[in-house]
Amino acid sequence: MADAFLAIFQRPNFLTFVIIFLWGFYIMVTRYNLVKKLIGMYLVQTSVIFFLVTIGAKKGATVPVLLSTTEPVQAASYANPLPQVLTLTAIVVGVATLGVGLALCGAIYRQYGSLDEQEILEKLE
Amino acid sequence: MSHQLPAILFLLPLFAAISMPVVCLKHRHWSLPISVAILAAMVLVSILNLYNVIHHGEVRYVFSGWTAPFGIEWVADGLASVILVLLSILGLLGVVFTGPTSPKTLGGRIVHYYTLILLLVSSLTGIVFAGDLFNLFVFLEVAAISSYALVGVAGGRALFAAFRYLILGTIGASLYLLGVSYLYAVTGTLNMADIADKIPLLLNSKAVVGGLLFIFIGLGIKMALVPFHTWMPEAYTYAPDSISPIMAPLLTKVVLLALVRIIYWVLNASSAIYDIPILLLVAVLGVLAAVIGASLALAQRNIKMMFAYGGISHIGIILIGIGQGNQTGFAGGVFYLLNDAVMQAALFYIAGVALFQYGVRTIDDLGRIGKKAPWLTGSLVVVALGMIGLPPTGGFFGKWYIILGALESGDYVSVAAVVLSTLLTLAYFVKLFESLFRQSSTESDVQFGEIPISFKLTLGVTSAAVIILGLFSAPIIQLLLNHTLPPGL
Repeated sequence: MADAFLAIFQRPNFLTFVIIFLWGFYIMVTRYNLVKKLIGMYLVQTSVIFFLVTIGAKKGATVPVLLSTTEPVQAASYANPLPQVLTLTAIVVGVATLGVGLALCGAIYRQYGSLDEQEILEKLE
Repeated sequence: MSHQLPAILFLLPLFAAISMPVVCLKHRHWSLPISVAILAAMVLVSILNLYNVIHHGEVRYVFSGWTAPFGIEWVADGLASVILVLLSILGLLGVVFTGPTSPKTLGGRIVHYYTLILLLVSSLTGIVFAGDLFNLFVFLEVAAISSYALVGVAGGRALFAAFRYLILGTIGASLYLLGVSYLYAVTGTLNMADIADKIPLLLNSKAVVGGLLFIFIGLGIKMALVPFHTWMPEAYTYAPDSISPIMAPLLTKVVLLALVRIIYWVLNASSAIYDIPILLLVAVLGVLAAVIGASLALAQRNIKMMFAYGGISHIGIILIGIGQGNQTGFAGGVFYLLNDAVMQAALFYIAGVALFQYGVRTIDDLGRIGKKAPWLTGSLVVVALGMIGLPPTGGFFGKWYIILGALESGDYVSVAAVVLSTLLTLAYFVKLFESLFRQSSTESDVQFGEIPISFKLTLGVTSAAVIILGLFSAPIIQLLLNHTLPPGL
């Protein structure tokens, strides 16, 4: 048990990811305000992006441009660019989703005069 | 030239979507004819592509010279090409149907509305072709974002349904992305074929198991698999009448196709995680969806809501076929997918016409139109035969092959589930017809106008397709058996 507990702290990035993910999920589930739900949603997305970045992180590595063309390539001295590229795309997707979400919130507010899920559901009845 | 067809198929609707706001800046009534023309061209190109793939084998399209596994790869194999023909035909019919029914409140924004529809079609094309897990994620999200906007476009109740869809859909997408990053962390690649080479030795690694679990849950939310289906009936019911017949047959089915690709092309059909065969899991989820979806459909009074729950149960039936792990079941599942897409489209056209032309929203109102709507009643009868699965229709042959596949693998629970779901489907259509043909004493003499030609066209074509798919089931099944089977089945 203690070993498992210590093993978690060996990887602080995983721990941070789990905390942010669950925090965002908790906000999405428990808050009635639609904008707060969107904030929770954005936290969930950000946590996944954070996870993607950390799995590509490497200590003492540099950008993937060859330092020397004569010596054999040392894979350990270059960072993998792919996770970061994926991250950029995922950020764009996340921002687009958030934009649509906020636009929907705006339209809902104009229609129902409220952003509270409970009040809107009452008006829908 | 012919190896460029997949890219052309994707770029046609994408370019039309992007240039639409500029081209139609002054003439907003051009947007409908342009969309119809583009999608008609897409139907032709997709048929050409299918012909090409059948005669010259699958096309592996490599973007900008970066060969897989380093670059992004598209795979136009038999399965993708068959689904693409279906997608483009249903997209075309959907836009034809959109003409008279598009929301009147949009005004000048009608141009952007067609932009979103074309964007949805092009991103679904991307999902069908994607041979790369991350590429699949991007197209899933483009499709999802355009459908959130399309559901909410008319305002009113749809806004709230769209918001719920957005929240749940984003959780699904995030989980899918998380699963993909797990797989990437373990295998170091995103290309499906490359992962398929590396994964058999890693199947008991916790990261791979976790990643696959997240991918399954994520795609399960997107395709409205039973425990995660709650967004779907609301979104399809309150979406504009012209949007539900485009989304209902295409969106969930194409995501289902993505799941099939991951199960059969990335994983192996016979792979097991901790001694649990993946296909058994798929079949069990299918059984649950088939029975629960049909039972919930029986409880509905809103026509669109009933059809949406019917769609959930049919996704279950397709999964039962896919999950049998033999050729008969797989071909039956894919054939049923084709049928189900056509039938879902037809059902939502019927619901749309009923609401738009006759003002009928719930089953109780149906009695009003009884004998005054020959096109509506006629196509409803044909499609109901297909949904229940009676012999001259394609629905019968799809279920027949799925049951044969289940018998072949000795899975009697699945057979029972298909039969039970058929009986429940029969029950809710009986409920529908009972109120349609009931002679109401308070029958008013309201005269309904002649229904527009585009309604006749869409209702007629989809009803005919339900019968034609049945009549030509033998050659179609043969085609599927020859060209769409995954490796190692």
